[in-house]
Amino acid sequence: MEQPLNYIYQKIETLSPMHSKKLKKNIAFFDERYYEQANSFFARYINILHHDHKTLDYSIDCYLRMIADVNSETVEFLRTGKYTSSTFAEVNQRVYARPETMEYYMHGLIMSQFLWKHHYQMLQYFTDTLPQYIKATKSYLEVGVGHGLYLSKALEILNDNTTLTAVDISETSITLAKNFIKDSRINYNLKDIFEFNNRKKYDFITLGEVLEHVEDPLKLLQKLKTLLSDEGILFFTTPTNAPAIDHIYLFNTVGEIQDIIKAAGFEIETERSLLSEEVSPERAAKLKIAILYGAFLKKSKAS
Amino acid sequence: MDKSEILKTVNDIFIDVLDDDTIVLTYETTANDVEEWDSLNHIQLVVAIEKQFRIRFTSQEIQSWNNVGELVNSISNRVH
Repeated sequence: MEQPLNYIYQKIETLSPMHSKKLKKNIAFFDERYYEQANSFFARYINILHHDHKTLDYSIDCYLRMIADVNSETVEFLRTGKYTSSTFAEVNQRVYARPETMEYYMHGLIMSQFLWKHHYQMLQYFTDTLPQYIKATKSYLEVGVGHGLYLSKALEILNDNTTLTAVDISETSITLAKNFIKDSRINYNLKDIFEFNNRKKYDFITLGEVLEHVEDPLKLLQKLKTLLSDEGILFFTTPTNAPAIDHIYLFNTVGEIQDIIKAAGFEIETERSLLSEEVSPERAAKLKIAILYGAFLKKSKAS
Repeated sequence: MDKSEILKTVNDIFIDVLDDDTIVLTYETTANDVEEWDSLNHIQLVVAIEKQFRIRFTSQEIQSWNNVGELVNSISNRVH
C-alpha cells in the first residue's frame, strides 16, 4: 500500500498548489524519524476513519477547509490587528456548538499535527522531555484534550500505574480522543475546566493550545496552579499572532506569554519558540507570522 | 482605471512583496509560474493589493482566483 504521507502530499498538491508549496518547504526539514512517526500515525488514523465510514480524502478536505478559514482570518487579522472574535460566547456559537464545524476543524487539526513543521516539532519537544518526569508523575491531567494525540503519547510514555484524566468542553473532542486512544485507563470529563473540582492534585498537567481560546488566560493558569501538586509540572503551548475561527485571546509576542506565566506564579523549566513559516525572524516579526510557544513550568517558589 | 493599468500596478506589488524584480505577470499567470507565490505570500499580496486600491475582497474571492486575470477582474469590478 502507498504510504499515507505520499498520498496526502500529492492530493494537496493537486487541490491547493499554493498551500502545497508551504508543505514542500517543511518536507525539506523532516528526517527519517518524522516519516516513521507520521506514517504510523496516519495508518492508525485511517483505521478510525474507516470505522466511521470515512476516507483519508475526507480528512484532506477537512484540512483544506481549515486552511481556507485560517487564510481568511489571517487577512482580516492583517487588516485590523485583531482576532475576529473576542468572547467565548461568540466562538461557542460559531464553532463549539456546531458539530459539523467542530468535525471538520478537528480532522483538519489532526492532519496539521504532522503536516505543519511547528506542530510536529512541538510534539517532539513534549515526547522528548516528558520521560524526565516519569518517576514523579503518579497522576496526569490533560485540559483541552482535542483529538487526543498528546494524551496518547503520555499514555505510551508514562508508567502503567499513573492515573490519566482528561477534561474537555467539547463532546466532539472527547469522542474523537476516545476513538483514537481506545484505552480504559483514561478518565474523561466533559466539563468546563473552571467547573472541574475533584479535590485532587495532579503531578503533571498538559494544556495544549488552549490559552488562546479563553477570554482570561491568566485566570486559567491560576486555576491550573490550584490543581497542580507542589512539585508538579505544567506543560503548555499557545501561539502568538495566530488567527483562527475560535481564537479569542491575542498574544502579540512571546514576551507577553512569558509575562503571564510569571503573573500566574509559575517559573519556566525549559521553553521553545517555533516559527510557523520558513522565514527569517526579522521577516516573521514584520509579517506578524505565528510563533508556537511551549514550556515546561513549575510553581514559583517565591509565590 | 483600465485592466492593463491594474495589471501593471499588481505587477509592481508582486515585485515588492515577493522581492523579485524579474516578475512579469500576464492575465494567464498562475501560482505555478511564480515560485514564491505560496499561501503565505498570497495573503501578503491580498492585503497589499487591498491597501493600494483601497478595496476589500471577500473571503470567497481570496480563495477563488485561478490566475492573475481573475484577480485583475475582481479589482476592476471595484475600482471604476
